[in-house]
Amino acid sequence: MAGTNSAREVQTAHPMLEWHDLTVAYGRRPVLWNVDFEIQDPCLFGIIGPNGAGKSTLLKASLDLVRRAGGTVRFWGQQLAEVRSKIAYVPQRETVDWDFPVSVMDVVRMGATSRLGWFQRGGKRERELALASLDHVGLADFANRQIGKLSGGQQQRVFLARALAREAEIYLLDEPMAGVDAGSQEQIFNILTELRDQGKLVVAVHHDIRTAAEWFDAVALVDMRLIAAGPTAEVLTPENLTMTYSGRLSILDEIGEAVERGGRTS
Amino acid sequence: MIHRAVAIAFLPYNTLVVAAGVAAVGCAAGVIGTFGVLRKRALVGDAAAHATLVGVASALLFTGQRDLGVLLIGGLLSAMIAIVLLVLIRKFTRTRDDAATAIVLSVSFGLGITLISGMVSRGIPGSGGLERFLLGHTASLTAHDALLLGSVSVIGVLCIVIGLKEATMVAFDPDFAAAAGWPAATIDLVLIALIAVMVVVGLPAAGAVLVTALVVIPPAVARQWTERLIPMLVIAGLVGLLSALAGVVLSSLAVQVPTGPVVVLVATAFLILSILVAPCRGILWRTRVVIGLSSVSLTKTEGGADTPRVMERKL
Repeated sequence: MAGTNSAREVQTAHPMLEWHDLTVAYGRRPVLWNVDFEIQDPCLFGIIGPNGAGKSTLLKASLDLVRRAGGTVRFWGQQLAEVRSKIAYVPQRETVDWDFPVSVMDVVRMGATSRLGWFQRGGKRERELALASLDHVGLADFANRQIGKLSGGQQQRVFLARALAREAEIYLLDEPMAGVDAGSQEQIFNILTELRDQGKLVVAVHHDIRTAAEWFDAVALVDMRLIAAGPTAEVLTPENLTMTYSGRLSILDEIGEAVERGGRTS
Repeated sequence: MIHRAVAIAFLPYNTLVVAAGVAAVGCAAGVIGTFGVLRKRALVGDAAAHATLVGVASALLFTGQRDLGVLLIGGLLSAMIAIVLLVLIRKFTRTRDDAATAIVLSVSFGLGITLISGMVSRGIPGSGGLERFLLGHTASLTAHDALLLGSVSVIGVLCIVIGLKEATMVAFDPDFAAAAGWPAATIDLVLIALIAVMVVVGLPAAGAVLVTALVVIPPAVARQWTERLIPMLVIAGLVGLLSALAGVVLSSLAVQVPTGPVVVLVATAFLILSILVAPCRGILWRTRVVIGLSSVSLTKTEGGADTPRVMERKL
């Protein structure tokens, strides 16, 4: 239902990514409840919702990083295990220790070597792939820098480059714009759009409605349950947004944030 | 002084083998400890270390053997049990992580000490020697013991060398590794098990109370000097090796002194030196930067969010 921008005629029998009745609970507290939607074609897809809506959990459950209480996730109609090499994950930036003693190049190389077998270190090919990925995100000059000595936006681009080095078909990104300034946001969105144009599917968890409307081809509104999914213009309606954010104090924060950001950029 | 130096150069064969074995232990503890520190597992290692006494004492009690290998296997078992308990407490109770670690550490240590005291007071053969597992006492090691400790250490280092890619990937970002299909939890478990093994073979050198220092201080020293993993592993290995060696030699000169405290003091000397003078991270270096470049850093902040954060480290 969500496939837009379908300039490509390649219609496979299965959608690129589909969720059926996905339910996840932490302890007894349900985080996601019967989430059911699919993404047919390559596009730039946003998962939008308030804090604690289960957006990140949706990605993690899709990648078997958290246990599903029920439901299925299919990539091209297949189980994750069969298609892992075609999928790249970009976790939230705060989940790692940026004081870790590795260079930008080391981290991006991990993307390339993560595709190799046990104990294989990789060689020239992996090195070149990592360099190309770094170049792609505009960080080639920072290859030898320790990762803690980068700005938030640069760190996010390092994570993106590591995912690019996996040469995947589907990219799942968790809050790629968190702690990223407006300039870097545009840069990252441009890279993601480029990936989409190359026929990749890019799914990003995002919490800023204003930029979401600007960049995403299609979105899913999530607040524990799926509120709506489809082309951005059709989904981001006042009614749907009210439904997603209703009864939450955080909507006030969101609006406050949006106003603040709007004021700064204008 | 001179006759002491000569005495070291002509140490008997047994002492030389023991020195080499313990040096290997120090080196391996530094290398494997690096992953423990990077994964923020230093306290887990400490809990495991304090838990070894129960196993060592039980091994003597149940087998009646005083062989170091047998005692250490006992120590390893109880260290593993402590780690499992720790994981279970964290998973099934609302106890916070640090509290859970402290509980396992103190309870298992108390149990070990009680067991040893009871065995000593009942005059169980060999129980007098158990004290050396408290603070470390390399003077009583045989060449055979040292070979055992050395071989286990070499195997431990080899594990890291072979699995460096996997260990690094999981230590840095377990979620990314798991999403890419690597068994991150299992690799993590292997790393913890390796730390437990190092803590156990480090017992004769540093004792249950202090062996954590052998696993934690060398990586802390190494991190001061480098921003890269492989140099960090090498430096941590060297610092561990030198500290352990110094401990063996100094405590063999003064037989009354247990090895553990000497090892820890030497390692700490390295640490203090490094915190002071290491490039980039050392206090002296950073003070110099702040004074010398303060004008530059003022102009640089204009660049906004993309300005490198070199100066922002907590000073």
